[in-house]
Amino acid sequence: MSEKGNSLWSDAWRRLKKNRLAMVCLGIVAFYTLAALYGEAVYQYYQAKDQTAFYQKTDLGQAYQPPSAGHLMGTDALGRDVMQRLIQGTRIAYKVGIITALIAIPIGVFFGCLAGYFGGRVDDFVVWLYSTVASIPGLLFILAIAMVVGKGLLGIYLGIGLTTWVGLCRLIRGEVMKHKGQAYVQAARALGLSWPRILFRHILPNVFHVIIVTFTLRFPAAVSTEVIMSFLGIGVATEPSWGLMINSARMRLWQGVWWEMTFVTLAIFGLVLAFNLLGDALRDALDPRLRTEGN
Amino acid sequence: MLRYIGKRILQMIPTVFGVILVTFVLFNMVGGSPAQQVLGPHAQADTLEQFDEQRGFNKPLFIGRRTTTRAYADSDFERTAGDWQGVNGVVWTNGTIILAAGGEYTLPVKFALRTDCKYDLEIEGRAGGITMLGREQLKLSKDWKKIHLRVKTLEKIAPSGAPVEIRSIKLRRIMSQPFDSQFVFYLTRLAHLDFGVSSSTNQRVSKLMLDGIGPSLMLAVPVFFIGLITSVMLSLFCAFWRDTWVDRFFVVFSVALMSVNYLVWIVGGQYLLGFKLGWFPVWGFEAVRYIALPALIGIFSGLGAELRFYRTVMLDEMHRDYVRTAQAKGASRTGVLFKHVLKNAMIPIITNTVIAIPFLYTGSLLLESFFGIPGLGYLGINAINSSDVDVVRAIVLVGSILFVIANLLTDICYAAVDPRVKLK
Repeated sequence: MSEKGNSLWSDAWRRLKKNRLAMVCLGIVAFYTLAALYGEAVYQYYQAKDQTAFYQKTDLGQAYQPPSAGHLMGTDALGRDVMQRLIQGTRIAYKVGIITALIAIPIGVFFGCLAGYFGGRVDDFVVWLYSTVASIPGLLFILAIAMVVGKGLLGIYLGIGLTTWVGLCRLIRGEVMKHKGQAYVQAARALGLSWPRILFRHILPNVFHVIIVTFTLRFPAAVSTEVIMSFLGIGVATEPSWGLMINSARMRLWQGVWWEMTFVTLAIFGLVLAFNLLGDALRDALDPRLRTEGN
Repeated sequence: MLRYIGKRILQMIPTVFGVILVTFVLFNMVGGSPAQQVLGPHAQADTLEQFDEQRGFNKPLFIGRRTTTRAYADSDFERTAGDWQGVNGVVWTNGTIILAAGGEYTLPVKFALRTDCKYDLEIEGRAGGITMLGREQLKLSKDWKKIHLRVKTLEKIAPSGAPVEIRSIKLRRIMSQPFDSQFVFYLTRLAHLDFGVSSSTNQRVSKLMLDGIGPSLMLAVPVFFIGLITSVMLSLFCAFWRDTWVDRFFVVFSVALMSVNYLVWIVGGQYLLGFKLGWFPVWGFEAVRYIALPALIGIFSGLGAELRFYRTVMLDEMHRDYVRTAQAKGASRTGVLFKHVLKNAMIPIITNTVIAIPFLYTGSLLLESFFGIPGLGYLGINAINSSDVDVVRAIVLVGSILFVIANLLTDICYAAVDPRVKLK
C-alpha cells in the first residue's frame, strides 16, 4: 500500500490501467459480455413469447450463403444466420463460465479456508479430498460426471464445477496459512472474535484477489471444455453452442464452406485469449508476488 | 531414505482409497445401473435384471438386507393401477386399488422370482385382512397400515372377508448376507484385478485396455518427448534473449497457442494438412505415417502452456545468486545458461515431466477418436457415448492410480536429489 492510504484495489487498478494490452483485453471482454447479454435478452424475449427464435428458424433456400450484407457471417446448413448463432453461443459460454465458477469457487474457498485456518485433522481431510480429485484424469472425469448426470447443460455445469476447485483450494489454503500467523489475526483472536468471523470477515478479504485471478483464468478453460463437450454430443443439444457449431461446420468445411468454421474459431479464440491475457495482467496488478512473467 | 519411501507409500493408500470411493460414488450411487441406456427402452425386465446381476447393480449399495428387484416396480397407485391394470376383480379409484373379496390374486411380476432367495412383499392397505394361501391371516385395520409378507415363490394372496384397499405395494429381494453389497462386490473385483465386462462389446475390460495401450503410447510418447524437447529449447531461447522482442514475441505466441481451442487444432489440421494439402492421411491406423499428423497436432496444442511454464522456470533460475557469481567470474552467457541454469532447472522440469507420464496412457481422448487410432482415448470416448460404465470406470481408476504412483516417484526422485526434502 502506498503512503496515501490507497486501498489494494485502487492501487491494482492504477497498475492495470498502465498496462495497455490489459486494457485492450478488458475492452474485448466487455464487448463479449455485451454480446452475451444481448443474446440472453433475445433468448428471453422469444421464451416469453413462446416462439421459435429467429436464430433457430430454418430456411433451406438460404442455406450456405457466403458472408454478405444481409448475413454478415453467412448462413449455415439450415439457412440460419451464423452471426446470430455465434451471439447465442456467447450466451451459452458465459453461462457455463459463470455457473461452473459459482460451483467451484465456494467449494474451493470453503475447504481452503478451513484447512488453512484449523490445520491438523481438518487439513489432513481437505488435503486428502483434493489430492483424490486431483489425481483423477481431468477431462475424463468431467466427461464421466456428465455421462452419469445425463447429457445437457446440467452435466456440463456439474462436471466442470465439481472438478476444478482443487487449484483454488490449494492457493487459498496456502494464503490463509500465511495470514493466520499475522498480527491482525492474533489481535482478532485476542479480542475473542469467533472463528467464522475471523476467517470470513478478516482473512478472506485479504486473500480475495486470489479468487478473482483464479476466476479470470478458469473462465476461458471452462468455456473451452464446454466447446469440447458439446462437440462430442455430451453437452448442449438444442441450443446453438460453439461446440455444436464447430461440429456442424466441420464436414462442410471440406466442401468449401469456410465461413461458419472460421468465425466460430475466431470467436472462441478472441474470448479465450482476452481472458487469459487479462488474468495474467490482473495477477501482476493484484499480487506482484504471484507474478509469472520474469521481468 | 527407506523410511521416507515407506512413509510416502503409506500416504498413498488413502488417496488410492479415495479414488476408488469417488468412482464408486459416481457410477454406483449417482449413476445407478445403466442397463436401460445400454439395452434400450424396449428391453425386457429380466434382461435388465440379468445385466444388473452380472455387474452387481442389483445389490444394496454399502450394506443392507433388502434390495430392489426389477420383477416388480414399486407402485403407489397415485395416477394409475400400474401393472394391476386389467387384472380381474381389481378396481382402481383415487390413488388406491381395491381387491374384491373372495378373489385370489397373484402379484403381476415381470418375470419369475428367483428360487435361491426370499422376497419381502410390503403392502400398505386398510380394511379387511389378507391371507397368503395356507398361512395365517395378516390383519389390516380401518387406518392405513403397512404389512410385510415373506414370500418365497409367488403365492396367491386373497382378501379375507371384506375387500381390501391398497395404497402401495413394494417387492424387495432379501439378501442372505447383509455385506453382499455393491461396494464389496466392487472391491472384491478390484482385488482380483477384474474390471468387468464392456456392455457394448461384451469383451473383458482388461483385454480392451491392454489392446488400447499400445496405439495410445505410439501416439503419446512421440508427442510427449518431442513436445518436451521443443518447449525446453524454446524456453532456453527466451531466457537467453529475455527482455527483447524475441522473448516478448514468444510470450504472446505461447498465450495465443494456448487460446486456440483443441478442437480447432484437430479440425483445422485435418482439413489443411490432411485434406487440402494431402501431406498426411486423414484417418486411420495402418502405418507409421498415420501417426504423424495427430502427433504434430498434439505437439502444437501443448506447446503454448509448456513453453510458458518452462520459461518461468528458467527465468526464476536466472535470478539466483549462483548465476550472478558465475557471470562475475567471467563465464559466458551461453555457458551459464546451458551448464548452470539448465542443470538446476532440471528439477522442476523432471517433476513436471514425471507427473505428466500417467496422462500418456489415456493418450489424448480427442486426438485418438478423431484420427481413428484405436487407443484408450478412443475407447474412452466411445464408452462415454454408449454409457459403458465398466470401461469408463476402469480407465478413470487406472489413470488415477498411475498418477498417484507418478507422484510418489517424483517425491522419491526429489528426495534422492535434494537432501533437504527428507527432513520435512
